[in-house]
Amino acid sequence: MISQEGFEPDVLGFLCNWCSYAGADLAGVSRFQYPPNVRIIRVMCSARVDPTIVLEAFIRGLDGVMVLGCHLGDCHYMTGNYYTEKRMKTTKNVLKSTGLSPDRLLIDWVSAAEGEHFAALVKDFTERIRKLGSLGNETHLELHQLKKRLVAAKEALAQEKLRWLVGREMELVDSANVFEEKVSQKEFDQLMLQIIEKEFSKRRILQSMQGEALSIREIAQRVGASPREVLRNVVSLEHEGLVLFVGVEGNSPKYRRAGG
Amino acid sequence: MKESGSVLVIGGGVAGIQAALDLADRGFRVYLVEETPSIGGRMAQLDKTFPTLDCSICILAPKMIECYRHPNITLLTYSEVEKVRGSAGNFTVEITRKPRFVDEAKCTGCGTCSQKCPIIVPNEFDMLLGDRKAIYMPLPQAVPRVTTIDKDSCLYFTRSVCKICQKLCQAEAVDFDQKPEKINLNVSAIIVATGFSLLNPSVINEYGYGRYKNVITSLELERLANASGPTGGHVTRPSDGKIPDKVAFIQCVGSRGLGRGVSYCSSACCMYATKEAILIKEHKPKSEVFIFYLDLRASGKGFQEFINRAKENWGVLYIRGRPGEIIEDPTTKDLIIFCEHTVRGEVRRLEVDMVVLCPAFIPRESNNKLSEKLRVKLDEYGFFKAEDASLVPVDSNIPGIFTCGCCQGPKDIPESVAQASGAAARAVEVITLTARREG
Amino acid sequence: MEHRRIETPKIGVFICHCGINIGGVIKVPEVVQYAKKLPNVVYAEENLYTCSSEGLSKIKEGIQEHHLDRVIVASCTPRTHESLFRATCTEVGLNKYLFEMANIRDQCSWVHMKDPEAATEKAKDLVRMAVAKASLLHPQEETEIDVIPSALVVGGGIAGITTALCLANQGFSVYIVEKEAKMGGMLRYLHKLYPTMRNASEVLNQLVNEAKASKNIEILTSSVVKEVKGFIGNFEVAIQKGDEKTVNFEVGTIIVATGATDFEPVGMYGYKKFDNVITQLQLEQLLKKGRLQNLKRVVMIQCVGSRQEGRSYCSRICCMTALKNSKLIRESYPDANIHIFYRDLQTYGQEYEKYYREVQEKGVKFIKYLPEKPPEVSLGENGKLNVNVYHSLINKQIEISADLVVLSTPLIQHEDAKELSQKLKVPLGPSGFFLEAHVKLRPVDFATDGVFVCGSAHWPADVGESISQAYGAASRASIPMSLKRLHTEALNALVDEEICSGCGLCELTCPFAAIRIEETKKGRKAKVIAASCKGCGACGAGCPQMAISMQHFTDEQLLAQIAALAEVKS
Ligand SMILES: Cc1cc2nc3c(=O)[nH]c(=O)nc-3n(C[C@H](O)[C@H](O)[C@H](O)COP(=O)(O)OP(=O)(O)OC[C@H]3O[C@@H](n4cnc5c(N)ncnc54)[C@H](O)[C@@H]3O)c2cc1C
Ligand SMILES: Cc1cc2nc3c(=O)[nH]c(=O)nc-3n(C[C@H](O)[C@H](O)[C@H](O)COP(=O)(O)OP(=O)(O)OC[C@H]3O[C@@H](n4cnc5c(N)ncnc54)[C@H](O)[C@@H]3O)c2cc1C
Ligand code: SF4
Ligand code: SF4
Ligand code: SF4
Ligand code: SF4
Ligand code: FES
Repeated sequence: MISQEGFEPDVLGFLCNWCSYAGADLAGVSRFQYPPNVRIIRVMCSARVDPTIVLEAFIRGLDGVMVLGCHLGDCHYMTGNYYTEKRMKTTKNVLKSTGLSPDRLLIDWVSAAEGEHFAALVKDFTERIRKLGSLGNETHLELHQLKKRLVAAKEALAQEKLRWLVGREMELVDSANVFEEKVSQKEFDQLMLQIIEKEFSKRRILQSMQGEALSIREIAQRVGASPREVLRNVVSLEHEGLVLFVGVEGNSPKYRRAGG
Repeated sequence: MKESGSVLVIGGGVAGIQAALDLADRGFRVYLVEETPSIGGRMAQLDKTFPTLDCSICILAPKMIECYRHPNITLLTYSEVEKVRGSAGNFTVEITRKPRFVDEAKCTGCGTCSQKCPIIVPNEFDMLLGDRKAIYMPLPQAVPRVTTIDKDSCLYFTRSVCKICQKLCQAEAVDFDQKPEKINLNVSAIIVATGFSLLNPSVINEYGYGRYKNVITSLELERLANASGPTGGHVTRPSDGKIPDKVAFIQCVGSRGLGRGVSYCSSACCMYATKEAILIKEHKPKSEVFIFYLDLRASGKGFQEFINRAKENWGVLYIRGRPGEIIEDPTTKDLIIFCEHTVRGEVRRLEVDMVVLCPAFIPRESNNKLSEKLRVKLDEYGFFKAEDASLVPVDSNIPGIFTCGCCQGPKDIPESVAQASGAAARAVEVITLTARREG
Repeated sequence: MEHRRIETPKIGVFICHCGINIGGVIKVPEVVQYAKKLPNVVYAEENLYTCSSEGLSKIKEGIQEHHLDRVIVASCTPRTHESLFRATCTEVGLNKYLFEMANIRDQCSWVHMKDPEAATEKAKDLVRMAVAKASLLHPQEETEIDVIPSALVVGGGIAGITTALCLANQGFSVYIVEKEAKMGGMLRYLHKLYPTMRNASEVLNQLVNEAKASKNIEILTSSVVKEVKGFIGNFEVAIQKGDEKTVNFEVGTIIVATGATDFEPVGMYGYKKFDNVITQLQLEQLLKKGRLQNLKRVVMIQCVGSRQEGRSYCSRICCMTALKNSKLIRESYPDANIHIFYRDLQTYGQEYEKYYREVQEKGVKFIKYLPEKPPEVSLGENGKLNVNVYHSLINKQIEISADLVVLSTPLIQHEDAKELSQKLKVPLGPSGFFLEAHVKLRPVDFATDGVFVCGSAHWPADVGESISQAYGAASRASIPMSLKRLHTEALNALVDEEICSGCGLCELTCPFAAIRIEETKKGRKAKVIAASCKGCGACGAGCPQMAISMQHFTDEQLLAQIAALAEVKS
């Protein structure tokens, strides 16, 4: 990848009030210097960070997002950061679907004693994003195209099924191998990837349809996916009532977005 | 809600903090007296805490700040209890606030003064492994967040020159003319929570503490392992700054001894040594860590499991026995530990880079004076004695005076905290009962 | 979700120099000028120290003179200063939730000291983000709930009685619910108590009588908790008393003091197979009733059923129990030969180590065995028991004959604890004991507000420790009860019932049992218990329907902050 001359990344950091924000304060008190590219939003717990909000940051054109919390086991609210971990893992995968590097999202832990660690994280992360370049530079997409993908990704992350599964991951995977009926982490991750792919494609299909009646082939062209996959997803969208079958034109069935 | 009645808490470690917060939340006025410039006690010095390995200051700092902000708590740091008179329900207490030469009300804790102060001395808070200035905050998370001038090292006080800090302080907080201040209080009950000290292990001469650079104490290790400590969290050998490959912990240094040191068990060392061993392993997974012990005392919640994890997941090696002697290789500064097998009579020898001694918990030196002022009994070792350790474990011999935490004897944090809340409850009982009698 | 729109906000921004700490790096006047031009900002000024009394009066004046309805201080960290500034706003009638901070010191001037330009730009960004959030802030009312000043103590052992008495003496009314017909718990079965060697029954009777005499305590024996509804301040409790009737009452807090029971080592070391293999608890009974005769040789085995696969913990009290009972035996039968086979002796602290030494001096012998080579008990031809053990110190297998073998077994959780934990919405930990809110700093609290724990229900504990904790639990429970009204920060989760599908994910997510599914007219819906919710946001960020919004950290506000940050870029 070619580095972008003069590119100064804009980085957003979500820091939990109890550890990572305190760690950032300690970096200040200790005068550890780090690059000025990061802006911080304080939240009570890293678990407040909804994946859709992370996507919103990218949609708005920010180049990198850090979500920092207490070390696992140290969350002020006990289990919060375990949820953060699972949710951000999924968010990274969704980000990948859009063509952006999942490395643009950093999830890490900073304790209230780790001022230096915080400074180092910001430094490394800023460098990493500097190397990746701007969003457009990385994906070679026009900004409006990329934005569309990101919006689709955000919508995927707002999907009930996806959110439900992310929320149950710990329970479903926990103590795998002890009870045979539990899902292994690997199986779960694979399942999640499939669902992410599918949800993302479905949002892309909806986006591509705008108001027109289209054939599967036409949709496939617009979203750049195989007609087979598109057909499967369109059927599923039809079940959900989001897409309507409008009739056959020639040999091809045509579909339209439900509602407006 | 406001309750009438007030309580004096002596000692601002985790026990004193908990007792103060419980009482203040309950609506009572609390005076929290701490002799050093900041509250926090030992727990503020620790890196992580067993058995869950959470970061010590991360969980303690919010409580420290809460004490500072609580409308019902008056923090009297850098202060001493002078005189105590009266009885349950009505004690009068005289307190001296030592001059810190910085106006607490004006100082914003910005640290400009410390940055420019030319005098560097070892920091007690870092177990003398790190430095501080003559005008300083013992730790970055100090509460209150104000500086203190150490009269003994300040150039102005020792040589009548400098005053750089005063010139730089835009808040005009530095005040070289500050005088000791006396405060008189009236309180219904008193809670003692003055904690513990560690035995200076040079008493156990054969381990070479003080003579061998790479023989350190467990509390020194806590500071080394701490990210805001003197080495930025790198556990390094004092002799050459190298990260050690082989570390041995020696338990019961001066504890459970017959003759030297103290005869009792210090309760928390088996666990904290295990924790520190894991910390070393976390920093450098390839290192070898040994723990020499007599009995592994791991009877608290989740403790045995913690030790099992140290053995199974981290490969910490436990060796039963009390080493007889340590010898230093004068060139490499490596250490050779000799340990005799009690019955078989054979001598084992183990060469390591660094030795960590886990010294006995001992009473604070100030206990003697304080106990006289309070007329409260000490036990045969010098810890505050409970009237009946089984039935009224937080009551002293004087009605209305209670004790909690390590000032009573060695304990871990959970026990100290539970007891502190307990002492608070007993104090409230006394206040309620005297009020009922009077009203 | 709140859709209250406010009239155009009037925001005031106070930018602090912090001496030279901010002003030495950041061009504060430039930031002030910049702030003045931001939307909704009607006033901006700089202060040398905003937190000084002078600075604080400037804020108050600003609010009054310029009719500010939002205040921003750009200075240091909200972790130490937010409450001070909020209090200042409240003094002149501005709701404290209309205050916002921008941290331009710890996150800006102190960490970009060598780049004043960039630091100044960043300070502007941070102020702009704060303004964006402040524009969307709402005044919030803190939830207040009434707390009934009475407590339910479940379990009438030494811990339960102590905590009840402590609360009763403070004037609260207390119900003790004990499932057995008699009060007293484990102490009813014990002989003498280490380390004081007082009679367990004397100690117990004194406390039980005190409890019975207290006019603030109502004792319900042969009773169990049938149902608990509600939350801190107002729990509705139904008690099943015997087979007959249910008793209903309301309490503000609940303390769990259900203790533990002892493990029966069936099939281990010949227990129940050979007559003279008994547990420490059985030995206590024999000692109490004076049934032991002619004891010559006694072997005690420690860690029977503990510190091993399946039950990995150390039960804390068994070593001292063995020491106590061997001491008692030696006192009655000075010739009795006693061996204690142990793994690690748990005689922690000052008292117990001394006790250990005394027992050693009395001639009790201690042999350390290895868990991989445990002792074996067999019946010899003479009808005597033989105990075989590998003596690790002398590296030899040895055999000792015994008239009596006493097994030290661990305390384990009651079978019905699971049920109780579900009724109270509090968890059990990995070893089956009740799990506190925080191992270190909240040892007697549960995460569920208003519910507390003490004694061996929490972990095996001796009498002194159980009593310390009992007082501790009393202190914690007394706080809400004495306040009578609780108010919590308005940082709650808010559920939009129109959107909520009642899926229950939030209930599973919340570690504080602060959001629960309830049947409503519109079907199953999530309901937040405002008094218990800590505002962490874990439920909201996971809700499949996105039905939950977080007070003071709403999506709207976060998105506005992001938009403000991105604004100059695009
Ligand atoms: C190396 C080491 C590691 C440890 N690790 C752990 C761990 O991982 N987990 C755990 O649970 N426990 C651990 N502990 C134990 C823990 O430190 C104690 O349980 C805890 O600090 C006790 O708190 P305290 O408040 O009773 O006493 P302290 O922390 O000693 O506080 C007492 C306070 O009182 C002040 N004071 C003393 N005398 C006076 C006086 N006369 N007037 C006014 N103020 C006075 C002191 O300055 C101090 O601030 C460790 C201990 C050591 C030594
Ligand atoms: C063999 C042995 C010897 C011991 N010797 C000593 C000693 O010498 N010195 C010492 O300090 N400690 C000793 N102990 C420890 C001592 O027994 C405990 O410290 C003490 O019993 C703890 O008190 P507690 O109130 O927490 O629990 P418990 O005494 O167990 O009391 C709990 C009570 O709760 C009731 N309960 C349980 N579940 C429910 C429910 N669901 N609903 C209503 N009620 C319920 C029980 O019936 C019981 O009455 C010994 C323990 C054993 C086993
Ligand atoms: S004394 Fe002055 S310069 Fe020093 S920390 Fe306090 S306010 Fe800052
Ligand atoms: S006067 Fe003392 S404290 Fe101040 S700068 Fe000089 S040496 Fe340091
Ligand atoms: S997770 Fe959301 S939809 Fe499900 S019950 Fe809770 S609030 Fe309702
Ligand atoms: S915000 Fe946190 S505490 Fe409140 S209901 Fe949601 S998960 Fe529970
Ligand atoms: S509070 Fe820090 S991650 Fe939850």
